[in-house]
Amino acid sequence: MAPSENDIAIVGFAQLPPERRTNLTESDLVLRSTREVIAQVGIDKSEIGFTVSGSCDYLSGQGFSFVQNTDAYGMVPAINESHVEMDGAWAMYEAYVRLLQGDIDIAMAVGVGKNSNSDPSTLFTVEFDPYYLTPLGTDTWTLAALQARALIDSGKATERDFAEVVARNRSNAKSNPFAQVKGDFSIDELLAADYVRNPLRRHDLPPTTDQAAAVILARGKRAYDLCERPAWITGIDHRIEAHLPTVRKDITTSVSTRLAAEAAGVGKGPIDVAELHAPFSFQELILRDSLGLDASTEVNPSGGALAAHSVMTVGLIRVGEAANQIIKNGKNRTLAHTTSGPCLQQNLVCVLEGDQ
Amino acid sequence: MADTVQEFVFNLTFPFSRTLGSTLSTFSSAIAQGQIIGVRTGGRVIAPPLEYDPDTAADSGTDWVCVGPKGTVSTWTWVPEPTNLHPLDHAFGFAFITLDGADTPMIHIVDAGSESAMSAGMRVEAKFKAPADCDGRIDDIIAFIPASDPSPSEGAGEPFDAPAENEITEMDAFSDLRYVDNASPTTIMWAKALMEGRIIGQKCPQCARTIVGPRGMCSVCAIELDESHVVEVPGRGVISNFTIVTPTPYPGQTETEPFARCSILLDDADAVIAQQEILDVPVSEIRVGIHVEVVWAPENERSAVDIDNRSRGSGGDIIVGWRTTGEPDEPADRYLDRMM
Ligand SMILES: [Zn+2]
Repeated sequence: MAPSENDIAIVGFAQLPPERRTNLTESDLVLRSTREVIAQVGIDKSEIGFTVSGSCDYLSGQGFSFVQNTDAYGMVPAINESHVEMDGAWAMYEAYVRLLQGDIDIAMAVGVGKNSNSDPSTLFTVEFDPYYLTPLGTDTWTLAALQARALIDSGKATERDFAEVVARNRSNAKSNPFAQVKGDFSIDELLAADYVRNPLRRHDLPPTTDQAAAVILARGKRAYDLCERPAWITGIDHRIEAHLPTVRKDITTSVSTRLAAEAAGVGKGPIDVAELHAPFSFQELILRDSLGLDASTEVNPSGGALAAHSVMTVGLIRVGEAANQIIKNGKNRTLAHTTSGPCLQQNLVCVLEGDQ
Repeated sequence: MADTVQEFVFNLTFPFSRTLGSTLSTFSSAIAQGQIIGVRTGGRVIAPPLEYDPDTAADSGTDWVCVGPKGTVSTWTWVPEPTNLHPLDHAFGFAFITLDGADTPMIHIVDAGSESAMSAGMRVEAKFKAPADCDGRIDDIIAFIPASDPSPSEGAGEPFDAPAENEITEMDAFSDLRYVDNASPTTIMWAKALMEGRIIGQKCPQCARTIVGPRGMCSVCAIELDESHVVEVPGRGVISNFTIVTPTPYPGQTETEPFARCSILLDDADAVIAQQEILDVPVSEIRVGIHVEVVWAPENERSAVDIDNRSRGSGGDIIVGWRTTGEPDEPADRYLDRMM
């Protein structure tokens, strides 16, 4: 495909090794990931027209950490910079939109999360409805488990299906040098574990991870200067559902994922590889169904979010992994998905294509 | 000499008083009286009520409906080990409970005794706190318990007559989050030097700027700096900027009188250290250009407990503050082109 000046591609992706507990700060992580991706595409940082990060002060417990993180960009002379209090995948979306304005050619998006400072079983209660949910200590695990139980009771899946998702992702992760949780596990072994929140066991929950990742995007023909086979973003969309899961008509499906997939044009052709951000094992089953993926699509060859789950970084890594399938692995059409909020409340779907 | 700290535990604690708005005020004022309500909007009864119809985003209005106190579980989970944020200290369930008279479920606690008692379709009923203890919150319902009589709730689905003015319009919400951060190599380096009575920075090999306190990077060149780039700088410098803070009372504020916080550009440094206290200049006479020198705490009183990853350039309890040297003020052009 001959790109028009309105075509935007991912041309570089770098991620740091995931760690259960790093002794570096978020700004240290940002520096290392951005330096690596800048070196990878072979540009000077002054060529970057827009830089945007995704992170959350609540994770590390440091107010204005996102401001301190900008030290890692080298801000003298001043640069054009932005931040989203969301996963780096949404930072990538902002960089994409910024490039569409047509006055700059290169943008960088970063995701960083030092998750190990806080306890995920309690921290995320402050994220939910402050009147109806937070006073009860309603936590992320509980909300996911309520969705999982509904999925089982609907007859669409079983606990064994959940365990199969876990076993497959952990097995896939063995060939991913950036996986934190990997290995061969038998389904029966997994099913013998105790529940953390019935019907979810520890392995159905995401790991806790400290990590950063960065991508570089380029516009039009400039992409070929930075990358031999750019991963063109041919569709991208983000949809949100009501914040209270109880007012959705059916939590065993994801309407927002389906709408985002339609708008991003997922069904216009076969998807070779899909990188799905399913923090909880069973959510991969809901996502496959809502995205309309069939058996011809390889899902999460990286091991997905069950292999490493740095909140604020994990979604951008899905984008990077899906892009690398085109840049490095010769695939033609891939999909990246990111979620946010309780029970798959928000979903971003991105379709990437290589030159044929 | 005390060791530097490797881990910092801190609690992010802050009280909120949330205003409720008309919909939530109506809900709160009703539940404080033992009545759970929903709102009829878009052809269904949403309970607890939302201010908007999730299907259309239209104002959900004031067609209040009495719901419960009994209801039916549609999905559930079980918490075998409650956290400090959960209202019960023994194992319990969470569930979607569709109250009689409502079309959407509410999330609440089911105190069912055991996991095996939980199932979709089970009938439960609300167990309220004593009326005197109810203050209009969702947790005025201690929990739902298995219903002794599965028959429909009396009065459910009937209109609720809201008072002209709601008694409850605010809700206290207390946030208490616990963090355990670990000292980065750069923080440990800075704290160790301070304990020894030394102020250090890192000199960038690319731009030759000296950054105090060390950041582990040059924030102009965006390159990593490590121990090999450490330089010692003198404990003398010039006030390059300041602000005068007039304290307003808030939880945790101990100051009562106006005080100054100054940025100081140390000799041989290219980055200021911020938020410093000047010991011997009245607030009204603080100005840019004053020469100052460091005042260390006595060695046996130094502690690095406050030197964490957030305190870049801060001396914690090790630097007591700064005092004037008596030299004539420095002209302002000396501190142009420096870093925050
Ligand atoms: Zn430099």
